[in-house]
Amino acid sequence: MRTVRMGIFIAVAVLLFLLALFAGPRMINPFGMSTTEREILLSIRLPRVVVAMLIGMALGASGAVLQGVLRNPLADPYILGISSGASLAAALGLLTGFYAFGSVSIPLTAFIGAALVSLLVGAFGWKRGGLWPERLLLAGIGLNFLFSAVLMLLLSVSSDEGLRRAILWMFGDLSMADWTLIPSASLFMVIGLGVAFARSRALNALILGDEFAHSLGFAVQRERLMMFGAIALMTAASVALGGTIGFIGLLMPHIVRFLLGADSRVLIPASAVAGGAFLCLADLIGRSIMPPLELPSGTVTAIIGAPYFLYLLRRKDVLSI
Amino acid sequence: MSSAYSGPILELRGASFRYPGEGMIVQDLSFSVANGEFIGLLGANGSGKSTILKLAAGMLKPSKGQVRLWDKPLHTYRNKDRAKLLCYFPQHLDVNVPFTVREIVGMGLYPYDIPPHMTVDEAIAMVGLEDKAGTYVTNLSGGERRRVFIAMTLIQGAGVLLLDEPLANLDIKYQIEFLRLLRGLQKQKGISVIMALHDINIAFQFEKVMLINDGSVLGSGSPEGVLTGPLLKEAFDVAVDVERSANGALYISHGTIL
Repeated sequence: MRTVRMGIFIAVAVLLFLLALFAGPRMINPFGMSTTEREILLSIRLPRVVVAMLIGMALGASGAVLQGVLRNPLADPYILGISSGASLAAALGLLTGFYAFGSVSIPLTAFIGAALVSLLVGAFGWKRGGLWPERLLLAGIGLNFLFSAVLMLLLSVSSDEGLRRAILWMFGDLSMADWTLIPSASLFMVIGLGVAFARSRALNALILGDEFAHSLGFAVQRERLMMFGAIALMTAASVALGGTIGFIGLLMPHIVRFLLGADSRVLIPASAVAGGAFLCLADLIGRSIMPPLELPSGTVTAIIGAPYFLYLLRRKDVLSI
Repeated sequence: MSSAYSGPILELRGASFRYPGEGMIVQDLSFSVANGEFIGLLGANGSGKSTILKLAAGMLKPSKGQVRLWDKPLHTYRNKDRAKLLCYFPQHLDVNVPFTVREIVGMGLYPYDIPPHMTVDEAIAMVGLEDKAGTYVTNLSGGERRRVFIAMTLIQGAGVLLLDEPLANLDIKYQIEFLRLLRGLQKQKGISVIMALHDINIAFQFEKVMLINDGSVLGSGSPEGVLTGPLLKEAFDVAVDVERSANGALYISHGTIL
């Protein structure tokens, strides 16, 4: 039964991927492409859809892991402050004229910011030789507020032209996607996803509590550290690739639990697939709804995601808190 | 395990424990558990019962002294190997994620590469939840959830069970069934059990009890010898009488309260 559902799940994801590739303000017929259309497909559509897929997968999977590690079904990878730290670093880079690496400058500063903030959150969450979920959560919330405030301060005192781009980027703008960043970002995401999937039994045990996890033969603190590393890597890479895209990390694990159950061995890969498919769809909607204007994907995911999340909240068996 | 060895299976030698910056919770504690022994751990709230079990489980490291399992220091075992020999059942079970009963019980097999002894469905049947195997644990009552975790513990198959108040929230029927189940396993497989208890009347059924006060052993031995009025007064700070019922069983009486 679950295998059938998983099959349907993957089929829907592949369909959405293809739909995002060929549909849009300009429809492309896969069986009769002109040279221009082939050019659009390969150098604009395909990298953009691949970027959407990668970001969605990273966020979906890291949401699934984080909700387990924190034992909190309302956790979202952004709650750790990684994305606001990345945004702040990117804005600082823009304001100080850091263009040394050309078009890669924003993603690079964002990734460095995200990595530094991950270390900072980890340091605050560390006590007695281990990471503690409550401390991580509170440290993340505190840093989130701090970085957002500094970011607002920067934006309000500056009139830099580049800031419009920075703001768009913060809301998850995929319009700049090209092939440049895909190899390095995919590498980080594959490592993160690999670690997360390899530790999925340990995650199941951690969800039952540290004591059961220990009793079942897992080194609790080592497992938690590995999972935090995987989350940080995936979130940092995704923010660097396309800015802050809300609701995927929060929502996808809930949808998957509802459809396929809570076992992390299914939950992690399925949340990744669902996240990728959802962001492809959101991006398609964002660029098709009022062309030539494009809506940032982050706003589209939030506008679709938030009401659906509230609907799920009404269903007792999905959110049992 | 090695048949030549006849000493204690689990042993605490002069174990002390304190959280950094706090007073001693467990003070120079020594006791040992023999093969097939059933020990009831009694003491007032905050007396250190849970800390003692966590030390014995290797979840906390003693600041002084040692914990030994099968005559080897506990911390020298690989985690998975330890999990096959020693199982800990925590006092608080809070799961807010919709795992099914079958999924949770199946986690008891995680330490094993090749599933041993019993199937998931057999373990579920042993706690009487056959008709709820596919149900989300989040939709079960407190007592039913406890039985799910008991089934997980059973399938884990360890020879030493450290159980922190496993009878809490259980109806009297399931308290009795669970104790009988453990007794059966003791007879069949020679498992050893240390169980933190709240109900002194249940402790009278054990062959051996340990009365804990302020992190050290106030008395240890047969229930008749240890659970006496004066020692209970010292451990629990309340006067109770130990009486004998018509069928000869001991029970505590506190007279009319209300």
